Amino acid sequence: MNSKERLTRRLAGKPVDRAPNCNLIMAFAPLYIGKPQSQFYLDYKVLVESNLRVAKDFDLDILGAISDPFREVFDFGGKVEFPEDDIPLCSDNLLKSYEDLPKLQIFDPYRSTRMQDRIQGIELYKREAGSEYPIMGWVEAPFAEAVDLRGMNEIMLDVYDHPEKLHQLLEICLEAEIRSAVAQIKAGADLIGMGDAAASLLGPDLFGAFALPYEQRLIAAVHEAGALARLHICGNTTAILNLMKLSGADIIDVDWKVNFKLACETYRGYAAACGNFDPVAVVQQGTPARIREAVWKCLDAGDANTLIMAGCEIPLSTPHENLKAIAEALRDYPRY
Amino acid sequence: MRANEIKDLIIKGDAAGTAWGVEEMLAAGLAVDDIIQGILVSAMNVVGERFREGQIFVPEMLIAARAMKAGLKILEPLILQAGRKYLGKVVIGTVKGDLHDIGKNLVGTMLQGAGWDVVDLGVDVAPEKFLKAVKEQKPAAIGLSALLSTTMGSMKTVLGLLEQEGLRSQVKVLVGGAPVSEKYATEIGADGYAPDAGTAVHVFARYAS
Ligand code: B1M
Repeated sequence: MNSKERLTRRLAGKPVDRAPNCNLIMAFAPLYIGKPQSQFYLDYKVLVESNLRVAKDFDLDILGAISDPFREVFDFGGKVEFPEDDIPLCSDNLLKSYEDLPKLQIFDPYRSTRMQDRIQGIELYKREAGSEYPIMGWVEAPFAEAVDLRGMNEIMLDVYDHPEKLHQLLEICLEAEIRSAVAQIKAGADLIGMGDAAASLLGPDLFGAFALPYEQRLIAAVHEAGALARLHICGNTTAILNLMKLSGADIIDVDWKVNFKLACETYRGYAAACGNFDPVAVVQQGTPARIREAVWKCLDAGDANTLIMAGCEIPLSTPHENLKAIAEALRDYPRY
Repeated sequence: MRANEIKDLIIKGDAAGTAWGVEEMLAAGLAVDDIIQGILVSAMNVVGERFREGQIFVPEMLIAARAMKAGLKILEPLILQAGRKYLGKVVIGTVKGDLHDIGKNLVGTMLQGAGWDVVDLGVDVAPEKFLKAVKEQKPAAIGLSALLSTTMGSMKTVLGLLEQEGLRSQVKVLVGGAPVSEKYATEIGADGYAPDAGTAVHVFARYAS
């Protein structure tokens, strides 16, 4: 059973040889193949080569084009720095005032720099391993993108001070993300992941007003273009689990701070839960024995369609034997 | 307006109302310290508690902090005029390589509200910059915030640098942020740790001059 079949069958609740390994890989990949961090963010060939190596060596089941949150910001015209051997940095907000909103031009993904690079990455994945692995494109969800453009502290106040302007900004972000997602699907992405971590800081009312409706529209557009949607909101989302299930996503990631059993129950009939051990305490700092215990605990809590991952990105300095231990725990689980 | 009503305005995040209420309290002859402790700090304690319990979230916490600051601003000239002393000076910042600042800002605002003179060095603060601030500002304490497991190591570097320069005994060092724990704080030799902004106020209070 290859990874593509495995994920498809598992999502349908059908028997599989093992649950799919859906860990998110970013900064770990270039380090693993000995390439500088900056190349991973700026050159799709490095992103694809490193992720393929990681997927093969550690039995991952999804090839992802996720890298950092700032692809769209860059293409909107924001300043992003790429230190030679560190993750990208965006320390200056592009949209300092809503007066500049009319100047914010939605980019054409095909003529952009960084989204275009991601599209090329998907095409390369498709050629190299498209029949074997599901290929996952990536976008920022509209609320997260608004935060990337305007700043976290600012948006957290805008929800009260400038709700209408914020909705205007969110419409722009939504349009940019839909274009980016559809272009990736046309290039061969089987599913589109979308990150909305910033939305984890909102309570249910504000989440329902500023994050969920835009996630729903983005996900509807992804479905219409023929791909599956994966919603990733890291942080403690316990208070918004009930709303997240209404997003329409096929896969909903669950960070380690959330009770996984509760999440699986909440999403039953709506989406496949994907989670949820601690990426730092368990994966990076734990032992293979502790990892096995954590993976099995998630599988025990889950349903026939439950997927497995650490709550968020695999940390850069994760020992290789620990990442291997996740795959081994999935393989050895006795109760599929 | 009664004290409790002003507290409610802070909790609701009504900055203009809070400023107006504080002015009324002053006009009615209430002492500055009583307004700070009895209204501003007390309201923020409620806010901190509700945040911890998941009744309110980050935006509500931020607008409450802003309302509290608006009240504090009315009092500032009087504080200085009366020669009223701050609890002391604290320098805070997010450590090198780390851009997360919401938690650090909340800690700063709460400390300000509690009567500290707060110098905020911002985000991505190099250990040398903390050292320089300790030399120049002579704070009673410094507060280091880190949200990444990859940057929390910088806290240890700051402590080492202070030690190396013979300044360690002159300043208390407090650490916080999601991946930081009491255990880690002890391991690296920090003087204190707080899991949230409300607790940070209590921990810093030990070092008031
Ligand atoms: C001195 O004494 C004290 C005492 C108490 C102190 C204290 C100091 N400091 C804090 N406290 C305490 O009091 C506060 C209030 O009670 C509390 O503060 P907190 O800061 O914990 O809580 C705040 C009130 C609210 N919490 C937050 O503000 C953090 C929220 C999340 C969503 C988050 C955000 C917002 C951001 N992020 Co980032 N981000 C995540 C977070 C995931 C999540 N949902 O929690 C986290 C922290 N990020 C993470 C990562 C990996 C990253 N982030 C990154 C970027 C960003 C944004 C820029 C997009 C944005 C920051 C915007 C900003 N201005 O702060 C990148 C790094 C950038 C950098 N160099 O710093 C990047 C590396 C992602 C990437 N690959 O690019 C993860 C860290 C994992 C780890 N443990 O190492 C993360 C947990 C998400 C995850 N699940 O993986 C206490 O900790």
